[in-house]
Amino acid sequence: MELQVASFITAGLLIVIGLYGVFFVDNVIKKIIALSAMGNGVNLVLIAMGYNGGVVPIKLPNMPFEVFASKSAYPLPQALVLTNIVIEASMLAIMLALSMVLYKKYKTLKASVILKED
Amino acid sequence: MNFLPLIVVFPLMMAIILNYLHGKEKIVRFLTFLVALALIVLPFIGEYGFYYFSGHGVENGLISGIAYLFNQTKQVVIFTLMLIGSLVLITGMGEKHANGMFTALTLMGLASVSAVVLSDDLFNLYVFYEIAAVAQTGLVIASGTEKAYKAAFRYMLMGCVAGSLLLLGIAFLLSATGTLNITDMKNYLINANPMVYGGLLMLIIGLTYGSGLPPFHTVKADLYARAKPFIAAMLQTYSKFVLVAMMLVILKLFYGMPYFNTAHGALIALSIFGMVFGVVMALMQSDYRKLLAYHAISQGGYVAAGLALGTPLGIVAGIFHAINHVIYKSALFLGAYIVHKKKGSNLAKLGGLLPIIPSVAFMVLCAKLAISGVPPFNGFQSKWMLAEAAMEVNMPELAVIMIIVSIGTFVSMMKAFYLIYLKPCSEEQINEYKSKEVPKLAIFSLAVLTFLCILLGIYPDIVVEKLYPYAYEIGRTWALK
Repeated sequence: MELQVASFITAGLLIVIGLYGVFFVDNVIKKIIALSAMGNGVNLVLIAMGYNGGVVPIKLPNMPFEVFASKSAYPLPQALVLTNIVIEASMLAIMLALSMVLYKKYKTLKASVILKED
Repeated sequence: MNFLPLIVVFPLMMAIILNYLHGKEKIVRFLTFLVALALIVLPFIGEYGFYYFSGHGVENGLISGIAYLFNQTKQVVIFTLMLIGSLVLITGMGEKHANGMFTALTLMGLASVSAVVLSDDLFNLYVFYEIAAVAQTGLVIASGTEKAYKAAFRYMLMGCVAGSLLLLGIAFLLSATGTLNITDMKNYLINANPMVYGGLLMLIIGLTYGSGLPPFHTVKADLYARAKPFIAAMLQTYSKFVLVAMMLVILKLFYGMPYFNTAHGALIALSIFGMVFGVVMALMQSDYRKLLAYHAISQGGYVAAGLALGTPLGIVAGIFHAINHVIYKSALFLGAYIVHKKKGSNLAKLGGLLPIIPSVAFMVLCAKLAISGVPPFNGFQSKWMLAEAAMEVNMPELAVIMIIVSIGTFVSMMKAFYLIYLKPCSEEQINEYKSKEVPKLAIFSLAVLTFLCILLGIYPDIVVEKLYPYAYEIGRTWALK
């Protein structure tokens, strides 16, 4: 059970650091890194939620079904995390491409210059 | 055989095909026309009720797998969505280079928003919500200006934050109940623990981002203003229907739980802020597209207010207003597109367009009267219903705010109409107007939308009566004492 608590604390730290980075760091690339950290924190919450101190949810041929059902971790969050990793990768790819275009125009990565309201 | 998934699958498949045909103008034009026709038929091929994917269903009393829920209300919403989609696609065909990419992104957005509306599974909702965000960003990037890139980047930045938080909320709800299916989850939420309220908060953050309510209103308005005007018509349709779908999910899940009244108050406050901020910002703008963009935010506040009231009348009024709003606001954006073709969208430089395009001026005037709630146009009907719903729960202040915001809308709209069509202008400017041709397909779409404005204003029952059954199922009657 201790492992689960530790993962929740790590996840919370990752999310808070990510939010801080997105809103208060003045560099576009660092903002994107912070977003990635935050997304990983959320993934960790999902993974840790399904963990119950048991085995991986893969049913080996010699394992009786009752043992498997009572011992294995909850597989649904793991499927969700796999999907979320794909979504996040595509979002981050678009953002990195956009930041490249904006860098070519402004010759700087400062968010206060690039994202200024007009 | 139930063909319900085709509503989502068909646009997605066509999006992939059209994306590969990028640059082949003749084939793209032909296919776009066929797809636009097919989209209108799509909402009528599904059967009402649940649809379970890949043969799963109810097993041991639990629903497993992804499920869709289809009923009359969702049919009306999806029909409106597809109609606006096909009109925008037809307008896009008139652009000089028929653009496979634009069509593909529009179709991707249509598919994802209709999946958000249909979905009865929280994770499926999240996935398509993110796809809708990506599609909207892509549509803005496709307009290719520097400011568009900036707006898209800011939108994505906020989008990643809001999307992650929404997923966190879904994780909370999953851990509290052990299921993702919305209909099922409702039964397990009754023994509420504090985690559930965390989930509710995160869902509300996701909702505000998806629909452009404060604190995300400037980002969203920037997005509408920087896209090409006829694309902006599509974008605001997406966000209104995401708003409707997610609000219905929140009401369905949390209505009647202890402490829900606080969230209720928060939602109503958010929608009032949206209404007021939107119209105040719109009154200050000197750019026609920005003005329309902030009005879209303000009208989104009306929709949210109606749905947040949560009574059957409120829900019906909210959905009806969303439908009316996408119709007249798309007409306004198409009008702005025609004006943009003639000479930009800076209000200070425009003027004297009335003798050049009198028919467009008339249709835009109809849409402007509709947005400010003048009878006999459709905006009047739904605003009246919203005010009635607010009075029904003993909140006359809300009704008063709605009326005041309506007056602000009327003032800024008439100002824009004067500056664009009536203000006297010089001889050379008229020659400049005449040298540029009017996009004919845009005028066709505009005419269809204006006709719908008047039709729904005179016979609102054709939509309203279809919304009632589901609203009675979800909404509860209550009143402030």
